Amino acid sequence: MTEVSIEKLTKSYGNARAVNAISMKIAEGEFISLLGPSGCGKTTTLKMIAGFEDVTEGAIRFDGQDVVNTPAEKRDIGMVFQNYALFPHMTVEQNLAFGLEMRKVPKPQMRERIAKVLDMVQLKGYEARYPRQLSGGQQQRVALGRALVIEPKILLLDEPLANLDAKLREEMRVFIRDLQRRVGITTVYVTHDQAEAMTMSDRVVVMFGGRIAQIGSPTDIYERPENHEVAEFVGQVNLVQAKVESVGEGTATVTSPLGDFTLPTKISVKPGNMVSLALRPEAIELSKATEGQPAATVLASYYSGALMDYRLKLDNGDELHAQTFPVNRFAEGDRVALHAPAERFWLVGVSK
Amino acid sequence: MSPGKTKGIGPYLLIAPAGLLLAVFLVLPYLNIGVMSFRVPGQGTPYGEGFTLVNYARFFADSFYIWQVVNTLWIGFLTTAICLVIGFPVAWQLTRPNMRFRGLAYGLVLSPLLVGIVIRSYGWTILLGNNGLINRTLTNMGLIDSPLPLMYNALGIIIALVHVFLPFMILPIMNGIQGIDPSLEAAARSLGASRTTAFRRIVLPLSMPGIQAGCILVFVLSLSAYVTPSLIGGLKVKTMAVTVVDALIDTFQWPFGSALALMLSVTGAVIVVIFGRMTRMKWKVA
Ligand SMILES: Nc1ncnc2c1ncn2[C@@H]1O[C@H](COP(=O)(O)OP(=O)(O)OP(=O)(O)O)[C@@H](O)[C@H]1O
Ligand SMILES: [Mg+2]
Repeated sequence: MTEVSIEKLTKSYGNARAVNAISMKIAEGEFISLLGPSGCGKTTTLKMIAGFEDVTEGAIRFDGQDVVNTPAEKRDIGMVFQNYALFPHMTVEQNLAFGLEMRKVPKPQMRERIAKVLDMVQLKGYEARYPRQLSGGQQQRVALGRALVIEPKILLLDEPLANLDAKLREEMRVFIRDLQRRVGITTVYVTHDQAEAMTMSDRVVVMFGGRIAQIGSPTDIYERPENHEVAEFVGQVNLVQAKVESVGEGTATVTSPLGDFTLPTKISVKPGNMVSLALRPEAIELSKATEGQPAATVLASYYSGALMDYRLKLDNGDELHAQTFPVNRFAEGDRVALHAPAERFWLVGVSK
Repeated sequence: MSPGKTKGIGPYLLIAPAGLLLAVFLVLPYLNIGVMSFRVPGQGTPYGEGFTLVNYARFFADSFYIWQVVNTLWIGFLTTAICLVIGFPVAWQLTRPNMRFRGLAYGLVLSPLLVGIVIRSYGWTILLGNNGLINRTLTNMGLIDSPLPLMYNALGIIIALVHVFLPFMILPIMNGIQGIDPSLEAAARSLGASRTTAFRRIVLPLSMPGIQAGCILVFVLSLSAYVTPSLIGGLKVKTMAVTVVDALIDTFQWPFGSALALMLSVTGAVIVVIFGRMTRMKWKVA
């Protein structure tokens, strides 16, 4: 098992910086996701770790050893590509054998390891098929098996589920996660799907424009986003205008249409400042309107099976998005009372 | 509904123009030649009354013709092999993403096609002749006493054919290499293959469809080449195509010429089919 440490890693294409001085430490056996919008430098970062892309500046260390000048084939990395990159002229078995042949593993041992991995990725009986004779999900698992059979130090995956349909994607998520836990391999997973990053990772690295915006556990990222961009990227978020009443030690007390709260704050505010209160849609609970509760009018409601989505209008004109279980249903025009626990709110800067 | 199961005449209408073209310019002439090859040789006319096997008997009876077919095939093989050896590296280089002067290089590859085949072949006679540029230069430099035999032999024909047909090798191979997903090479590298091994195990086998197409094209073109062998081979070395034209036009032996032409086509076709079988890619037809 291997610990990866990345220091001030930078990649420039001409004057443009695709990756801009990012640093992170990935612990042994950790599953870490690089999450960010298209073009933020996720693939470039992964390629530099793999050795397919030269490093402009900075260091990459595997267990303390700088590998920046080590060629790709010597880095001992298992890589799963977005388009799988299976060798079309080789059968499943030959695809799996390739990495072992490169390592000069003796034949009997090779067969044993291939059989073990085929079992792991649930592809027993498919040895003699060519990639084009497999479904997308099966190809995906061959790619995974091919990366794992060499027992690499590190597993890198670049949006491996992007080409699968929704249901298969969810199955594969769990599959990959369980497999990674069992094998205990240090894993870097690239995705622009926040749900994928959340469900699979020990920690998520959120990237924007070649920089790291936040590193943290899925809970940290979702419930305590460091800035508005992160909050918006990893889920929906409501912004409610609020006014700072008083400021304490690292806290601020605000009044808002949803009530008065005293919240921890990382931003510096003064009494009288207008700020935004952020709140996830699913943190809001609705009940029949009663006196003395913050209330809103239902503008629209959408039923999606497991959940109800409501578009609500506060009396000051602000709109809110709420997501609840479909136990109490409300119709358009209903007056509803809003409940949200104080710990689900956070302050995000002066409202625009 | 899958497109493969589409019913109706739509798809046939789409290929109708091509089919018509093939019928008129390929199938009909071949039928005509086939029938002609069984006609009785004429006396003073191109052909006589009735049908006979005498033309084929004459072909098989005379080892001269058999040898000519063999020689023609040899020239075709060698031309193809040399085109492949020269063409593959060029095609490979032209598909590298960081290739400089790609436009210029591409133009150079295509340049033989821009000049008419007669002019190109004539150009080679200027270079290869006993009084040609190469021999004169070598003599003037004192490297040789008597001119090297570069013309009126198979060597000269092959040199000129390679030049003329090289683009037909390079273009399909380029096409094939360009169709290879670059991440396959990356995948091979990450699995521990050096650049060379990745090339040998991944890129080369995957460019086989292009290599196959290029080889078949060049081979078939070499067999049927007329202008270049007749200009460079002169009266000394004749390929089958030249002999066929001689028979048809110079001596007006239409039936015998047709039989010769068919014998060449059939051997060529048999070889192409065998080659196709040998290089068949299981992973492609799957
Ligand atoms: N070879 C290259 N030459 C120039 N610019 C490049 C090159 N490769 C990537 N870039 C640029 O670097 C930036 C980051 O690219 P990268 O492929 O890492 O994005 P990504 O986060 O993986 O995006 P996606 O989610 O779309 O895959 C992009 O702006 C891209 O245009
Ligand atoms: Mg990418």
